[in-house]
Amino acid sequence: MNREFLARYATALSTLIIFVIFSIVINNFFNATNIFMLLRQMSMLTIIALGFILVMGSGGFDMSIGNSVGLISMIFALIFNHTGNIWFALVISMACGPIVGFINGVLTAYVGLPDFIATFSVGSMVYGLKMMLTKGNPIFFPNNMPAFFNFIGQGYVGPVPFPVIVMLIVLLLFIFITRKTVFGRRLYAIGGNIVASIYAGIDVKKYKVLAYLVLGFCVSIAAILLTSRLGSAQPLAGEDYLLDVIAVCFLSTTMFGNGEPTALGVFVGAFLISMLNNGLTMLNVQYYFQYITKGLVVVVAISLSILLGQKGKEKI
Amino acid sequence: MVKSEEMIGNKNIESNESILITKGISKEFNGIYVLKDINFEIKKGEVHALVGENGAGKSTFIKILSGVHLPTKGVMYLNGSPVSFKNVKQSEEAGIRTVQQEINIVPFYNVYQSIFIGSEEVKKKLGIRYTDDRKMREMAKSVIEELGIDINVDAPSYSLSVLEKKIVEISRALVHQAKILIFDEPTTSLGAKERDKLFEIIKVLKGKGISILFVSHDIDEVMRISDRITVFRDGNKIGTFEKSNVTVKEIVSSMIGHELKNNNNQKRSPISNEIMIDVRNLSTEKLKNISFKIYKGEILGIAGVVGAGKTELAKAIYGLDKMKSGKIIFRNSEYIPSPQMAIDSGIAFVPEERRTQGLILNFPVSENITLAYLKRFSRLGIINNESEINITRHYINRLSIKTRDPRQPVNLLSGGNQQKVLIARWLSGNFYLGIFDEPTKGIDIKAKEDIYNLFVELAKQGRSILFLSSYLPELINLCDRILVMRNGEIVGEFRSEEENVASKIMSAMLGGGTLR
Repeated sequence: MNREFLARYATALSTLIIFVIFSIVINNFFNATNIFMLLRQMSMLTIIALGFILVMGSGGFDMSIGNSVGLISMIFALIFNHTGNIWFALVISMACGPIVGFINGVLTAYVGLPDFIATFSVGSMVYGLKMMLTKGNPIFFPNNMPAFFNFIGQGYVGPVPFPVIVMLIVLLLFIFITRKTVFGRRLYAIGGNIVASIYAGIDVKKYKVLAYLVLGFCVSIAAILLTSRLGSAQPLAGEDYLLDVIAVCFLSTTMFGNGEPTALGVFVGAFLISMLNNGLTMLNVQYYFQYITKGLVVVVAISLSILLGQKGKEKI
Repeated sequence: MVKSEEMIGNKNIESNESILITKGISKEFNGIYVLKDINFEIKKGEVHALVGENGAGKSTFIKILSGVHLPTKGVMYLNGSPVSFKNVKQSEEAGIRTVQQEINIVPFYNVYQSIFIGSEEVKKKLGIRYTDDRKMREMAKSVIEELGIDINVDAPSYSLSVLEKKIVEISRALVHQAKILIFDEPTTSLGAKERDKLFEIIKVLKGKGISILFVSHDIDEVMRISDRITVFRDGNKIGTFEKSNVTVKEIVSSMIGHELKNNNNQKRSPISNEIMIDVRNLSTEKLKNISFKIYKGEILGIAGVVGAGKTELAKAIYGLDKMKSGKIIFRNSEYIPSPQMAIDSGIAFVPEERRTQGLILNFPVSENITLAYLKRFSRLGIINNESEINITRHYINRLSIKTRDPRQPVNLLSGGNQQKVLIARWLSGNFYLGIFDEPTKGIDIKAKEDIYNLFVELAKQGRSILFLSSYLPELINLCDRILVMRNGEIVGEFRSEEENVASKIMSAMLGGGTLR
């Protein structure tokens, strides 16, 4: 095993090792019910992180994702409760993610605001907006909620939870987008070297906005999955996703690629983070210690890949 | 740094008035010598000019003096004692300071804070160290006054002109008692009045016994202010001349070496009279009224020193700089510049900085090659990996690119091979007009030869080449015609088979009206 190999696969290997250890020391960890529960827990995180790698791959960043989840959820609930029309509610609420993404994209790419400041400010406005809608109270659904909506977040196909199926479809789609399409290639080119991309005739601004739009759509999917699973719209739902998504995306840069975020890496990273949450809870580790562990794992994994990667490269 | 105060005054070196002597200084990078056996001397209180073409080794030499690079071989003596600088700090402590071409300044610091940045005067009160602003302000004031200049020491740095920023840099050297000041192309961004002012300051510095090493492209100004002139060529020192017994012509010819001749024309059929591109009265922020034509199958060279506007011309045609007025006719129809438009109409552009403007360094060779014409290797937005790899293999063979395999990250390749990858990107799209900005900069001789041969081959196929370079021999050797640019304008046109073409071009480039 050489350095380069280690640098590329250290995170994936550690994930495997932790998985094996958890399977041995924790009763009921390695069984179908728990694994599917774990996969269901990670599905929303994975879907948002997959969208995020496009933005990150094109050299951008998005601080507004956590707040958007709650907003989409609230708007869905408000429209459904007022009109009783689920399709109308779904279409309008799911448009919110891309709309927020579009605003982020225009502010960063066309107006030229630093992405951190633009998306942070937009996130703040989104937060204010969703709080304003219901004064911060959750919204519960009336009894006429169609069964299929509950199925989205709570249902099973055979033994497999439906959100897991959605996650796997989105994952395959993103592996395809990042590896095989002109769109994905150009986004990564922009993140790799924006000046060279302009010189190669890529419409950098357009592609940056598109990346934020796709991320917004992913946020919408995750928000609807979450709303269905919770059976109500919670304004603060999804707040925690921001930090986890960032952690997962940075973890993904240490796997399977040349330092760019990868779709498969996101899946492994999200699995690692969710497995730590799941396993440490089953071990009765206090929640605050879980946060420390999570932070430590991310720092160690990324440091290792940087340190190993730097030395592994030599000119021919 | 090896230096002992006791040894100063110890007259074990030939000339007791020389402050700095180098003996046999050589520098190699990756097995290539960029400086060979330089014996050089600066006297106390003299203005010593260092001239030479691009790549002559001037910058490497001043980088050695200022501690950026360690020499591969050779010794330096400062005041008679051998010294060696491992970093810039050591050289600065020994009294050698450089006024850079581009000066970086903290915009919201004011003048005296900028002068003392990193070496603030401090006072101690109650055991706490404070910056002593009053003292720094006074010191800054007196140093600037000594230079005969009027600058408000409380003015914020962002409000300073280019000259005033240079004065801040000079003052910084003075408060640290610098003995030798190196000016690297100090006049490139100055107007005529500011330039006169800078020369006044240099005289004041000289009067204070400070030695000046003045690196410049401009022969006129070198003749105006220097006492002695040293010429570098291809990493060698050609000679040091007393200003009083040398002519501009002698200096120019020692910069160029032997007369250069064009020897490529025989290899090609005569150029067609079909016009490829017709640029009419093109003006931008940096360019004034540029008009020229390139014919089908022609290699047109643009000569000019750094900052003459060559790159700006390339960027204007490629649509990266905004056109203020003028018109471009490309292949008989009007062309509105933009990178997308350029690519669609068949104009290729290989920029000067391949690592920052050309390549996606973490991308493999193959993905760098297909970047500009990715649509040709894809259907319905889906990339055809097989045709991508095939085209990459094709160009790896054709241009003999040294890479382990098509999927190797491009940042692991050497400079010459990276440049070939960039050229392959455009070859994969069959361009009509190729714009190449300093395509041979920093690459080895074999790769240079390959690129020259490729240009001739492309011209034979009927493509046109706009070849921008500040290295005259390659222009003269390869081009049919050469336009000379200075200060954003075209100031001359030459056919490369003319008599004494190199001297003519050089004097047009440098603006030495005295020649001819």
